[in-house]
Formats: sequence, C-alpha cells, structure tokens
Amino acid sequence: MREYLREHGWAVVLSVLLHGLLVGSLVFAALISAHRTPPSVQPLPIDAVVVSSQVLHASQAARERAEQEAAAKAAQDAKAAQDAKAAEDAKAAEEAKAVQDAKAAAEAKQAADTKAEEAAADAAKAAAAEQQKAKQARQAAEADLAEQAKREADANAAAAKAAEVKKAAEAKQAAEEKRIADAKHAADERARADREAELRRQLADEEHRSAVESGPMRDSYIAKLRNKIQNAWIKPPSASVGLDCLVAVTQIPGGEVTSARVTQCNGDAAARQSIENAVYRASPLPEPPDPALFERNFVFRFHPDE
Amino acid sequence: MNKRISCLLAIGCFVLCSRSWAELVVEITKGQAEAIPIAIVPFSSPEAAAASFDVAQLVGNDLARSGRFKTTDRKDMIEQPHTGAGISFDDWRRLNNDYIVVGQVQPTGPDRYQITFELYNVLTRQRLLGYQFSASKQGLRTASHQVADMVFEKILGIRGAFATRIAYIAVLGSLPHRDYRLIVSDADGENPHVVMQSNEPLMSPAWSPDGQSLAYVSFENRLPSVYVQQLRTGERHRVSDHAGVNQAPAWSPDGRKLALTLSTRDGNLDVYVMDLATQALTRITDDPGIDTEPQWSKDGQSLYFTSDRAGGPQIYKVGIQSGDKPRRLTFEGSYNARPRISPDESQLAFVTQEDGAYRIATMDLRGRGDVQVLTKGRFDVSPSYAPNGAEIIYASRDRGRGVLALVSADGRVQERLVSSEGELQEPAWAPF
Repeated sequence: MREYLREHGWAVVLSVLLHGLLVGSLVFAALISAHRTPPSVQPLPIDAVVVSSQVLHASQAARERAEQEAAAKAAQDAKAAQDAKAAEDAKAAEEAKAVQDAKAAAEAKQAADTKAEEAAADAAKAAAAEQQKAKQARQAAEADLAEQAKREADANAAAAKAAEVKKAAEAKQAAEEKRIADAKHAADERARADREAELRRQLADEEHRSAVESGPMRDSYIAKLRNKIQNAWIKPPSASVGLDCLVAVTQIPGGEVTSARVTQCNGDAAARQSIENAVYRASPLPEPPDPALFERNFVFRFHPDE
Repeated sequence: MNKRISCLLAIGCFVLCSRSWAELVVEITKGQAEAIPIAIVPFSSPEAAAASFDVAQLVGNDLARSGRFKTTDRKDMIEQPHTGAGISFDDWRRLNNDYIVVGQVQPTGPDRYQITFELYNVLTRQRLLGYQFSASKQGLRTASHQVADMVFEKILGIRGAFATRIAYIAVLGSLPHRDYRLIVSDADGENPHVVMQSNEPLMSPAWSPDGQSLAYVSFENRLPSVYVQQLRTGERHRVSDHAGVNQAPAWSPDGRKLALTLSTRDGNLDVYVMDLATQALTRITDDPGIDTEPQWSKDGQSLYFTSDRAGGPQIYKVGIQSGDKPRRLTFEGSYNARPRISPDESQLAFVTQEDGAYRIATMDLRGRGDVQVLTKGRFDVSPSYAPNGAEIIYASRDRGRGVLALVSADGRVQERLVSSEGELQEPAWAPF
C-alpha cells in the first residue's frame, strides 16, 4: 500500500486537488446563480406621442403579458439553475465519497499490512478491488483532465475569435482613418486653391485700387468730401487758427455716417461738438467715383487756416 | 506650389497690411460763418399763456438776435414735445435742426413759476443741458434770458450775455425843447427804465464794475459836471464840477477811482484820475494837444486814451505811475478814437474813419496789432463791449435817426437793436 502510494501518490494528490476545485467551482456557480439580477420591472421611457385609449389599453395588456412570461421564464430559469446545482451537488458528494472510499481502502490496506496472515486471495481480491478503485479514480481524474483541456481549448478558441474580431475592428478603423485623412487632404487642397484664388482676386483688386488711388479720381473724391464737410462746418468762435482736431468717421456704403468721434483735439467742448456735428450734417457723404475708393473708416483733420 | 502660395501671401499681406499706413485723412481748413439751426419748442403752460408770457419765444429771439443761431419757425414744427422723452430726433433732423430746446413752465404758487428746460443735440442725440428753476412773474423775462445764456454757452463755449443790461442816452423832441434821458434796459432793449431825465444834455454813461452805479456827464447846470448815481436808490452825487470841461468818466477795475478829462484855464484837455473817496486828482497826461476818452486797462495800472498830439486823433496807452511816457497804439488812418478794451483785454475797439465814414474797428492787442473794420455804416460810433466780449454795441444812424446796433467781435454778425423812440446815443453795456 505504501508502495502503491509511492507509485501513485501524485495521482491521488492531483485527484484530491481536482475534486476540491470541482466542488469549489460548483459552489461558486451556485452562488452566482443565486445572485442573478431579477427581470427588469422598470417602466419604459415615455415617448410622447399622442395615441388613442384603445391602443394604450392593448399595449398595456401586451406589456403585462410579456411581463408575466418574463417572470415565468425567470422562475423556470431559477428552477433549472437549482436542479443543476442539486445535480452538481450530488455528483460532488459522490466524488467526495469516492475519495473517502479510496482513503478507506488505503486504510484497509494498511490494516491488511498489519495483519500479515490474511489470505492471499483476500489480498489479491482486495488488491484487485483496490486496483479497480484506483483505476476508477484515475479514470475520473483523466476525465477531469480532459474536461479541463477541453475548457482550455474552448477558452483558446474564444480568445482567438476575440483577437480576430479585434483585428478586424482595427483594420476597419485604420481604413476609416485613412478615408478621413484623404478627405481632409482634399479639403485642404481645395481651401488652399480657394485662398490662392482669393489672394489673386484681392491682389487684382488692390492693383485696381492702387491704380485708382494714385490717380486723379482719388483727388476728386477727397475734394468732394472736403467741400461737403467744409460747407457743413459752422465754426464756433473758439475755432480759429491753431485749432487742430482729428475726428474718426465711420460710414456705410451709400455714405451714411454711423459714427463721428473727435479723437485728438486742442479745442474746447464747443469746437469738438461743432466738428462732430459737421460730419453728421454732411451725411450722407459723397459716393466715390469708383467703388474701390470707398473707405469705411477714415479721418477728417480740422485745422482752420483763418 | 507651396512656395508660390507663400510668395503670394507675402505680397498680399504687404499690400493689404500696408493699407493701414495710408489711412485716408481729409484736411478741413475752412468753415462757415452760418447761424446754427436750433428749434425752441414752445414751453407748455396754460398759466404762462394766460399771463401772455412766452419763454420759448424770448429764448428764441435772444439766440436769433445774436446772429449765431437761426430758430425754426413754429409752424414748421410737426410736434411740440415738452421733455426729452418726446423728441423724435429723426424728424427734427429732417427739419435741419442741429439742436432742440424743450421745456415747461408751471405755476407753483402765487406769483411763482417753475421753469424746466432741456437742450439736446439732434445730430448726436446727446442731452446737453437739463435745468429747473423758479421765478416770479416779473422774473420770467430775466429767467428766459438766463435760459438763452445757458444754451448759448453750451453750444458756443462763450458765456451768454442776454441777461445783462445796457445804458444809453435817448434824445427826444427838437430844439429848443429837447428832452434828454438816461435809460437802462435789458440787453435786448426791452424793459427800459428812465434813470435820469433833463432838458440839458446828458452824456457818456459809464457802469461801475459792480453794475450798481452809473457815472455820467450832465449839463443840468449849463456847464458839464460828472455825476455818480446809484441805480437801486436813485441817489446821485456830483463828483466833478471843475471849471471848464468835466467829461468822459471811466471807472477803475476796483471801482474806487474815476478817470476823466478836465481842462486847464487855457482850454487844454488832459486825463486825470480821481479818488472817489477823497475826490483827490492825479494828472496823468500833460500835453498841449487834446487828451481825452480814457479807458482803464484790466490790471488798473494803465489808461488807454485818445490824443491829437500827433495831428489827428490816435489811441495811446500810458501807465498811471508818474513819469510814464504815452505809447501810441494806432497808426492806420488819420482818425482813431474812443478806445474800449474787450473784457479779456485781447482786443481794442475804437472808431475809425474810412472813406469819409465813421466805423467800428478792432485791433488785436496780443498779436501783431492787426486792425479789422467791423461795420459798414456812415456814422458808427461809441463802441462798448458786451461783458462776454462776443459782441460790441454801438450807436449808428438809420435813415437819419440815431439807433443802437450790435456787431460780433469778429465782425461776422451784425444786428440792429430794436429801438425805442428818440435819437439813441452812447450805449454802454453793463458788466455781468
């Protein structure tokens, strides 16, 4: 028996461990199934749609039926889980008994050892029985191993499948990113082209503008502005030689003055007011002979020479 | 490609960014001497209407008479608001008003009225003034002049002088039954009061610096004497009746002395200063020619006067300390007389002869002594500055009759003062 144990001790230990593991996992599974969340009883979110009372009634009945069915199914599931647990418990008890039996056998063998005079047939029979039992235990252990291997294989397969899915997702994302990058690039190109076109247009405008501005049209426009303001300016007594004031003017197309504000001025309040009034009185200001000459903001400088 | 764009960008930025350097600046070197358009909306007041007193009318008359404003005709007013909240600025602007005055007159008790008024800039919609004050029925006229003064000052930057007074001589009848009157009235010629009346000539009224008294020359004793009369009490004193000529009194700025012209036994006229408390005389000029029409400098240390020592009458200035040598100021023309200085002493007004006519001229006392002839009449004499220096009142002739007229100190604006009956002479504008 000691020899036997020496020879098969690892198997016995492994068998004991595996059975322990099995029992533990069964208990764990039972615990989990006991804590499974009950079917949802939360009301459905309200979708504000106007419907008739019959429709409301029918849907209410359907909802109740569904809830009943769900409850029944939940009960069924719970029962099935319970049955499974019972079966597992029974199996575990059986296997535990087997371990116990094995132990008893070992003890018996030890007892037999101590009783040297026991009959060989008995010994052989006992040994055979022992062998048979050991074989059974080994078979059980092997079955467990196989099951473990299968479980591992399943897990591996699942992992492999997950990896595959992940890979596919990554590939999809990469493709999407590429597509976005391409689109952005195209948009950038378009914007760049637009900007270039815009710049060309502005440059062309500027060329036209500077051509106009350096020409006689600008002088004529300024003369028109000056005339209109000078005619509109009623000089107060304090506005004489030495007065020097700047007024910032904002006009909108059409020449209407929207703002006139004296910025720098060495004159008194009356002089400042007369200057702002002059600009408003002159509104609308003359239109430029060429639209390119239009300035939204400009400055009149009041410095009388008399 | 990129290079090309950045090149374009650089050029574009240079052109566009440099735009701000060349901001359009339009130089304005001339303005108009036009009158400023203003609407004086009738002040609401059933009571004042019953008292037949129109505050807005008086304010408008004052402003219009100054020549610096033109008032909107009431029949052109679409609406007549009484507070700023009721002003439709766009409408008033369409009627070409730069400013608008709105207000109310409300009775607050027996013979008590409350005047409320506001001044707005129609163009900028700014509220420039808002005042409330009370007056008796008799005070409504003065209160109205005060409203005009405030509006005038706010818009032109010069203190208004509508609520001041003038003194002048009115001559009625014809020889040998002439009636001479010394009259004090509001600056607009309204509300005249006879201060002194005589069948012999009255001349040269001069205001004391506090505006309480007048000095003048009266021939009531057949010979000229200088009198000082208190306006409130009517109390009068003869302060100078030396043998010969006693004329052209002028108050010193401190009100303690009179400068005047006296004659020596041989008929030579010279300028003296008399201490009013003691009547002690100090001789200022000593020249065989005629020295007369003295006028004090602002600091009371010098006198401007007329002298013919160089032939024709010219204007001189002399310190009142003994030994100072008179300095001639006028050189243009053969006749420059009757000097009057502006309140800030920046300008001298006088009578000059031009093309055989007598006209009012001014000389710049601060710069190069530029002379400007302000009037165009044939006989414009006796200038006197308004206390704000903006206007000069003077005596003129209209179809052979003596009238009073006004000219702005810069000559831009000329107005005829509503004349009461008689020949009006020698106006003198009172201090504030």
